[in-house]
Amino acid sequence: MLWYKAWLETRWQFLIGLALLMLSACGGVLAYPQVVKLLPLVPSADVGGLIGQRIREGAELMRDYRGYVWSQWIREGPTQMGTLLAAILGSGGLLAQASGGAAVFTLSLPASRNRLLGVRAATGLGELFTIAVVPMLLVPMLSPAVGESYGVGDALVHAACVFIAGAVFFSLAILLSTVFGDLWRPLLITCAVAVLVGLADAALGEPKYSLFSVMSGESYFRAGALPWGGLLASVALSAAMLYGASVNIARHDF
Amino acid sequence: MSDLWAIETADLRKAYGPIEAVRGLNLQVPTGSIYGFLGRNGAGKTTTIKVLLGMARPSAGRATVFGLAADAPQASVDIRRRTGFVSEDKELYDYMTVEQIIRFTAAFYPRWRADLEQRYRKAFELPLDRKVKALSRGTRTKLALLLTLCRGAELLILDEPTSGLDPAVTEEVLQALVAHVAREETTVFLSSHQIAEVDQIADHVAIIHRGQTVVTGALDDLREHFRRIQLVFDGDAPEPSFRAPGVERVLRKGRVLTVLSSAGSKQIVDEAQALRPVSVDVVPVTLKEIFLETVASED
Repeated sequence: MLWYKAWLETRWQFLIGLALLMLSACGGVLAYPQVVKLLPLVPSADVGGLIGQRIREGAELMRDYRGYVWSQWIREGPTQMGTLLAAILGSGGLLAQASGGAAVFTLSLPASRNRLLGVRAATGLGELFTIAVVPMLLVPMLSPAVGESYGVGDALVHAACVFIAGAVFFSLAILLSTVFGDLWRPLLITCAVAVLVGLADAALGEPKYSLFSVMSGESYFRAGALPWGGLLASVALSAAMLYGASVNIARHDF
Repeated sequence: MSDLWAIETADLRKAYGPIEAVRGLNLQVPTGSIYGFLGRNGAGKTTTIKVLLGMARPSAGRATVFGLAADAPQASVDIRRRTGFVSEDKELYDYMTVEQIIRFTAAFYPRWRADLEQRYRKAFELPLDRKVKALSRGTRTKLALLLTLCRGAELLILDEPTSGLDPAVTEEVLQALVAHVAREETTVFLSSHQIAEVDQIADHVAIIHRGQTVVTGALDDLREHFRRIQLVFDGDAPEPSFRAPGVERVLRKGRVLTVLSSAGSKQIVDEAQALRPVSVDVVPVTLKEIFLETVASED
């Protein structure tokens, strides 16, 4: 029944996030014919610096449907929105409930704190997995509607990258939720960390093994190679933070 | 010992940073008793309960429930499986309906009493399809009580179960509790600062003040042994030093000397005769007076 409780507590965040990403996937795919019509205009855009570089690179990638999906949707939608949703799904929990008093009821039940945390984390990860996979699978399903095709295998690989790297932000939010007794600080700090990672990526010229590069599956898109190092590091980092959360919650006095 | 004492603490201490909420608490709650746990606000009652239920770890000393160490994680789960608990604020999950939270709670207890659930659903007139957040305080308390009483628990820990309720609902809740205990032979640990309700249903009592036990025992024994002895003198009352055991408090006011004794009155009266009072009155003391006298004398 703890699963049921965790589901009731997170269902609206999950369902709204899932719906937004599915809409975003539909919009991305169905807008492709209009984007193709506008492509000839792009070379005339005279913008310098990083933005200009991104525009020109994007235009180059968009000449191919697979490149369009990656540069215009995967790199923007599931990666950025997925990060935010991971932070939202990971925030909250026992300490946040303690301020409202309901944590005392939970803690009076015959369930260990590790089990309480484990079920919450597993439910959130399940939701994050669904958020990563379902919108991504819409792309191969809807592509024939615009006269294109997209591999299910490609979609699943990108979904796995979004899920595994997104789990790092989810786990960070879970860890912070065992430190702060409110909903907002874990969410805001996790988002701030994501922004800092993004800024660091931009400053370092988007390194190959940055978290967002792993999340968007860039190496798979460009060279067909899975970012194994980044994925394994993400799993290790997530596991370490979840372990830290379990240690924190075990020694917390309510 | 676990058969004899449902709850036992020995020199239990709990500090939150520099603040010591419990300072060497010693309790022995007999199995099968209704044990009143009295103290002023902030005396350490809720902290003690949190330690017993594994929500807070003791800083020092020992706390056991059913003979199991309350601070051992697995033992704590076992303790909670055999214990029902109503918290002071009765906070439940606002987003669940009454029906959902009953089903949710029942799933944790293999000995859940479906028969009692039906009985209390009707008796408390609980609206099953209403969200918990929409319930009045009284109805929420009744729901919390149902969730506790139906667990098939051997021990009920009730933290201010009637706080914030009007007298009619308070009486209804207490009556339900007494009837349940009479039927199910459950040990009840009732934390309260409502002396009247403890006096009404408890058979044992502990009074704590500033995290320490100041009075403990069977309520009948306390009623039998606590006495107020009032001595009136011709002139100003003398300043005696009684050697008799059980002198809790001595108060001099003009011609009157008042002694509170926790060990009867005979020896004190015998000693007092030597002071040649003009009159000696011995009167029994109520639980409320014992509480006020012992807690006040500690201030």
